[in-house]
Amino acid sequence: MFTRKRHSAFEKAVLPHLDAAHNLARWLTRNDQDAEDIVQEACVRALKYFAGYHGGDSRAWLLTIVRNTCYTHLRRYRAHELTVPFDDDILNLVSDAFNPETLLMKSVDTAAVHRALEMLPVEFREVIVLREMEGLSYKEIAEVAEIPVGTVMSRLARARRRLQTCLTESHEKGVHREL
Amino acid sequence: MNCRETLTMLSGYMDGELDLVHRMEIERHLQSCPECANNLHEGCAVQKSLQSQLLYHAAPMGLESRVLAAVRAAEGTQSHPSRRFVRPAVGIAAFTGVLALVWFAAARIPAAIHEEATTQQVVSSHVRSLMVNHLLDVGSADPNIVKPWFSAKLDYTPPVEDLRTAGYPLLGGRLDYLNDRPVAVIVYTSQKHVVNLFLWPTAGPETKMTTRECRHGVRLCQWATDNMTFWAVSDLNAHDLTQFAQAVHAHVSPLDQCL
Repeated sequence: MFTRKRHSAFEKAVLPHLDAAHNLARWLTRNDQDAEDIVQEACVRALKYFAGYHGGDSRAWLLTIVRNTCYTHLRRYRAHELTVPFDDDILNLVSDAFNPETLLMKSVDTAAVHRALEMLPVEFREVIVLREMEGLSYKEIAEVAEIPVGTVMSRLARARRRLQTCLTESHEKGVHREL
Repeated sequence: MNCRETLTMLSGYMDGELDLVHRMEIERHLQSCPECANNLHEGCAVQKSLQSQLLYHAAPMGLESRVLAAVRAAEGTQSHPSRRFVRPAVGIAAFTGVLALVWFAAARIPAAIHEEATTQQVVSSHVRSLMVNHLLDVGSADPNIVKPWFSAKLDYTPPVEDLRTAGYPLLGGRLDYLNDRPVAVIVYTSQKHVVNLFLWPTAGPETKMTTRECRHGVRLCQWATDNMTFWAVSDLNAHDLTQFAQAVHAHVSPLDQCL
């Protein structure tokens, strides 16, 4: 059985990071109910693996479990979301976006950013969430997402370019509407 | 450094993840290329908007207590009986005979008490499920909906079968709490009577199907396969309830029908 001491160590390691766990699960699944179920399941899994956790960054440790739980869920129920084609050439992504006069992005509205991020393929969404919202280093992202550090950098680059493209398009639509 | 290389490394530059040599190469390129410099500005604007608190999905109210409840329930199932009996081998052999006798007598009493407690809980839950509006957490006649719903909430996946052809349409399922653990209840109907099928994993031996009458005219049929315990409870008569149990058993363990 769990001793009381180990139990409180587990709660100390996990409970402070429920916001981060939920944020990641919500962005990966794009669904409130699924996100809550996944956080709960991930915490139960974390309990099972807790014997193998020997200190260190408990947030990255928990996020790794949350991420894996999300992927298990997506593979089981929404496998099509894991195979979204994505233009690999970074130069093609913002081919005609260079227009310093219309796009200064100073007043990018949050709803548009939310939509643009939701449209990204899941493996690009996850590096953005871990970097921009959780402030993880490339090395930590590499551990959580189980990819090499170089891949973290190129995925982030492509994800940001894709977001810029989407926001440019929505910005231009907004300009057209105003006209 | 050309534009393609710069764009690939621009993220690392923005995040302060590049070494000095690459940082300087990028800065040199940015000074001579307005297009890449503009990309950097845009990238920084996007980065800033992504860090807005409005995009952050913090844990909703109640999630922490839900997680704690699930973790506590899981702790109850995480005991390791094998470890509790690890003792030095010396001396044990001498006591084995005595222990076996004592244990044989003692095990019968707690097991009977335990079974009576489970019976009371199962019957109460069945009656409660009919009284208030808490029969179903997930209402669907499709096992492909009911089963994944359970597997997301339990540490085991209960077998959910479509028994419509046998005369028992599936209504759905709900979670219940039994013997200090969450368990699956699969709800069927039989001639307009509700049948609650409780099932949870066990490591015990297989047990034969037995049907008995409990209070309130409620009948109970229980059996266990090598890894799952089943308790069907309903106000069906004993014969019909046993038939239902046999139909469940035939679908769940098709290779083992002579229980």
